Amino acid sequence: MDIRLFGNHKRSTMSATTLLTEFVLAAAENGGQGIPPSAGAALAVGLAALGAGIAERGIGAAAVGATAEDDDMFGRGLILTVIPETLVILALVTIFLV
Amino acid sequence: MSLYQTDSGGNYEYVTARVRARKAALFDDDDYRKLVRMGTSGIARFMEETEYESEMNELGARHSGVDLVEYALARNLAKHFDDLLRWADGRLYDYVARYLRKFDAWNVKTVLRGLYSDASREDIEDDLVRAGEFSESLLDQLAGSDSVEAAVEVLDSTRYGDALADALRDYEETGTLVPLENAVDRTFYEDLLSDLPAESTRATELYQEFLHAEIDFRNLRNALRLARSGADMDPSEYYIDGGRLFDESEIRQLVGNTDQLVEHIRTSVYGEELEAALETLEDAESLIEFEHALHRAELEYAGRLSNKYPLSICPVLSYILYKEREVENIRAIARGREAGLEPEEIEEELVIL
Repeated sequence: MDIRLFGNHKRSTMSATTLLTEFVLAAAENGGQGIPPSAGAALAVGLAALGAGIAERGIGAAAVGATAEDDDMFGRGLILTVIPETLVILALVTIFLV
Repeated sequence: MSLYQTDSGGNYEYVTARVRARKAALFDDDDYRKLVRMGTSGIARFMEETEYESEMNELGARHSGVDLVEYALARNLAKHFDDLLRWADGRLYDYVARYLRKFDAWNVKTVLRGLYSDASREDIEDDLVRAGEFSESLLDQLAGSDSVEAAVEVLDSTRYGDALADALRDYEETGTLVPLENAVDRTFYEDLLSDLPAESTRATELYQEFLHAEIDFRNLRNALRLARSGADMDPSEYYIDGGRLFDESEIRQLVGNTDQLVEHIRTSVYGEELEAALETLEDAESLIEFEHALHRAELEYAGRLSNKYPLSICPVLSYILYKEREVENIRAIARGREAGLEPEEIEEELVIL
């Protein structure tokens, strides 16, 4: 499995999905118990962080570009860049639910 | 500058963000209205306080007046377009570099015209726009060649070599530059759309869509010029392959009949965009107004494509078009003021959206 976060969008999302399926399959084979709740929650947070990272990649690049042209864009760019971070914060809720 | 190909898609986010900021910073209509009312020295002073400051200062020692303005414009254009190449990566770089070969074509034509009219080496070099793919040394060599034939020889190893060598015979027979210039233009447009990656992605499609539009507008402009001038020339000589609006036999027919030509455009994909332009054509009977309306429609179409597909090649190409328009407008104003035209007359020459 190769994960190339900095190569192609599609490729990184795809290998993340393969990673997940293989993990679930392995867990299912392992006594048929399924995933333990805490591992599921960890997975949820981790995947949300991955999603946020992919989203921030594009926004960050655009924000840096805009800041390079006009310094006043720094604040606005920073805010827009971290908006996908809310995904991770919401995913963190699962930790307290299990 | 050379073309390298990588398998990555390109950093569209970064490049389009910067390009949009630059496009927003271009002169607006109010600036043009102010400029039109200034004298040539006023224009030079105005430009020193804007975007063009560093170029104006660099060239200020060697040139003055309208020449200074003009060279500063060319140099600034080259700087901005080099920036585009500096930022772009992957396939995006490839698309931008292909499009900027337009300036190679421009430079080749400038050199040929210069040599043809026995201009001095300095004059030719001043008129070059160093934004294309040709290296500095090749351009120097070109400008230093002492005849049209020698320049064609220098270009032998470039993509224009074969076409120019073929056209050289025509040139020697007729003694006019037209065959050579056509050869350069055609090579440029043919290469633009050839050798694209075989798998067609969304990015490639958009690039093609943009260029189809550009080729169509160019064919249209040529067709109208021919139709209007009534010159007895074969329109297919000027026809550029690759557009969607006409094919070669259609254009031959339509040039003879302006009404039919207008009707053909009205029912085409560009009908909506060109509505206003077509009306001017019918009312005004003046080709220059229609050409400006056409130019406006082209810019608007480019602007719409870049709003529709924000993360694509479209915003970059549309910026290139807008920047070129700014340079053309300022040049027209400066030259017009120098020639003593009235502000109203100059405003008619400008392409203002």
